[in-house]
Amino acid sequence: MGKELGDRIRIAECDLGQQSILHVIKIKAKQKLPELSPNNNIIDETEEQGNSPLCTTLNDAMFSSDDSSARASTGSTSEIDAIIPMLLLWLSREYYEFQEKKKPRVHFYVYCPTCKSLKPGKIRVRCHFCKSGAFTVHAAPQNWHDVLEPKQITGLCENTPELCANILNNSEPTFAEFYFKCSEHTSLGEKDEAVPLYLIRPNLRDIPCLACADVSDPIFVFPCAEGHVTCLDCFRQYCVTKLSERQFWQHPEYGYTLACPAGCSDSFIKEVHHFRLLTEAQYAQYQRFGTEEFVLRSGGVLCPQPGCGMGILADVDCTKITCISGCGYVFCRLCLQGFHIGECQSTESGNISNREGCLYNVDPTRAADARWDEASRVAIKVLTKPCPKCRTPTERDGFHIGECQSTESGNISNREGCLYNADPTRAADARWDEASRVAIKVLTKPCPKCRTPTERDGGCMHMVCTEQAVSFIGVGCVKHHGLESVWEAIGLDEFLKMYFFIKYQLLYLFILLINLFVNLVVELQKM
Amino acid sequence: MAATRRLQKRDIRNSGLKSFRDIQVDETNILTWQGLIVPDNPPYNKGAFKIEINFPAEYPFKPPKINFKTKIYHPNIDEKGQVCLPIISAENWKPATKTDQVIQALVALVNEPEPEHPLRADLAEEYLKDKKKFTKNAEEYTKKHSEKRPAD
Repeated sequence: MGKELGDRIRIAECDLGQQSILHVIKIKAKQKLPELSPNNNIIDETEEQGNSPLCTTLNDAMFSSDDSSARASTGSTSEIDAIIPMLLLWLSREYYEFQEKKKPRVHFYVYCPTCKSLKPGKIRVRCHFCKSGAFTVHAAPQNWHDVLEPKQITGLCENTPELCANILNNSEPTFAEFYFKCSEHTSLGEKDEAVPLYLIRPNLRDIPCLACADVSDPIFVFPCAEGHVTCLDCFRQYCVTKLSERQFWQHPEYGYTLACPAGCSDSFIKEVHHFRLLTEAQYAQYQRFGTEEFVLRSGGVLCPQPGCGMGILADVDCTKITCISGCGYVFCRLCLQGFHIGECQSTESGNISNREGCLYNVDPTRAADARWDEASRVAIKVLTKPCPKCRTPTERDGFHIGECQSTESGNISNREGCLYNADPTRAADARWDEASRVAIKVLTKPCPKCRTPTERDGGCMHMVCTEQAVSFIGVGCVKHHGLESVWEAIGLDEFLKMYFFIKYQLLYLFILLINLFVNLVVELQKM
Repeated sequence: MAATRRLQKRDIRNSGLKSFRDIQVDETNILTWQGLIVPDNPPYNKGAFKIEINFPAEYPFKPPKINFKTKIYHPNIDEKGQVCLPIISAENWKPATKTDQVIQALVALVNEPEPEHPLRADLAEEYLKDKKKFTKNAEEYTKKHSEKRPAD
C-alpha cells in the first residue's frame, strides 16, 4: 500500500529502501483535486495530515508484491502530471512507473558500466552547481533536449540556495542537471552513473524495423529528420557490417560514428556509447579503428609491422619513422616498407597524387586493362626466374627444389649456371613467403591513401579501402627463422656477449682443471 | 538474422510483377532466389532470361547480388552474367530498398541498355554506332540462347 507523508515529516527519518518511489506533490487548490485512484481518500485528507513514517512500509517489498491495488495507488503518475501542477522531487530514490499490465514500462535505456550492458535506466536530478540531489525543478523536462543539454530547466537548490545563488551573483537562475542511473543493480553511491542511450526508445507506436520489417520493442531511432527506426538486432548487424568494412565515419565533433543507414543527411549518432550494444570484442575493434582513424586524421602514421600498428605522430617532413614506444621498427613514411635511402621502390607509384580519397576515380575499362597487364607481369615474376647470366625470364618445368630465395639480388656471383646451390629447405621456405607476398601483390591493390593492400571481390571495377587488420600479412614477417630469430630477439651484441661469456667460462674451468692436475702431479712427485 | 527475417516476409514473391516470374526460393537456403526476367522491349522480347539473386548474410545492410544464368547480348551484362546495377552498388544501396524495386530497376536496364556505363565495351560501342546491327545480333543471340517465355 502506498503511504502519503505529511509536510512535517523529514525524509531522512523515513529510511527509504532502494527502489522506493517518492512523489512530492504540491497542491495549489484543494477543491480541484481529481480522483486519482481507488484510494483517493488519502488525497482528500488535508495536506497536513499525512501518515506517520513507518520505516517498514516504504520499502521494496511493498512495490514488488503482486497486489494490484498497490500499483494503482502508486502508479498512474502521468495522470497526476497532466491534471495537478506538480513537482517531482527525485531524491536518489526510484522514479519507476508501473503499467497496468504489471510489466514495468521502461522509459529510459542506459549503458551501465557496472552491469556492462544495456539496462533500463532511471532519471535523476541534482543542482547544476553544487551537485546536491535536494533540488526542486520549476518544470518537468519535456523532451530529451531538456535532459541532455545543460542549463535548460530552472529550479531551486534546497541544499544551499544562498550559496548556489551567490556563486552566480544572482545573475542567472539555478539550473537543474539531469543524469541517469541503472535501475537493475543497487546503487553504489553518488558516482554510480550510467550513460543514457537516448536513441533507444520504447516502441510506443509499433514502428516496423526498416531492415527486417519486424515490430519489436525497444527500437533504435536514428537522429535523422525522418527518425528512421531499426530493431536492436538490426542496429547491431548494421554496426558489425560497417565495422568489418571499416566504414564508420570520423566525425570532427562526435568521434568515430555512423549515420542513418537510409543515408539521411545530418544523421550521425552523437552519443557513441550506443555502440556499446556490440559485443566486447566488437567494441574493442571499434575503439581500435576509431583510434587509428584519429591518428591518421591528425596526420600520423600507423606502424606497418604485423601485430604492432602503433599510432605515431611525427613531423610532416620526417620520412624515417621509428616505432619508439612500440616494436622499434624503422620504416619509410611514404611506402610503409622498411626504411631505405633514396626513392621508394614503388610498383604502383602512379597513384600517390590521388591521396585524398580511398575511392578510385579512374576509367573502369582502362583500370581493368591496367590491372591485367600488372597481373600478367607479376605472374611472369612468380612463375619464372631470370637467368643469372642473361636476365631472361625462364620458366622452371621440372621438380627440383633448388630455388633461390632472392629473385633479383644475392646470387649474381653464381653466374656460371642456371642451377642454384642454396640449401634446399631454407630456399623453399623463402620461396613460400615470397610467393604469398607476390600473391598479395597480384590479388590486391594498395589503397592510394594508406598503402594498405585491398582486394577486389568481383562486380564493378570499384574498390573500397577497408584498412583491415589483415592488411599486412606476409609483408614483414619473413626473416624470423632459426638462429636469426634469437639474434633478433636479444639483439646481436647481447648474443655475442653471452657467447663469449660462456666460452670464457668454459676456458676458465678448463684452465682450473689443468692447474689442479698439475698441482696434483707436483704433489705426487714430491711424495 | 535480419536477412532471413526479412526475406521470409515474401514481400516480393507475391508482388505480381509481370516481367519477373517463376520465382523459386531454395527452402534450405532462403538467401538464394531464382527467377525469370521477361522483357517487353525488342530485341529481348522474344525470350526470357533466368537470373539468380544472392542475398548476403548481412542483407539488408549489404546489397544483394544479381547474376544472369541465361546468356544475354547486352552492354550492361557481361559474359559471366554479372550486371552492374546502380541501385545495388555498394555506395547507392539503402537497407530500406525493397527487392521489387531492385527487380524493376533490373528489368528497366534490360529493356533500355545504358551504353554510358557498360560492362561490355564492344557491345556498347556497337549499340551506339550501329544500332541496327546490334539489334540484329541481339535478336539472334536471344533466339539461340534464351529461355522460353511463360505462356500467359
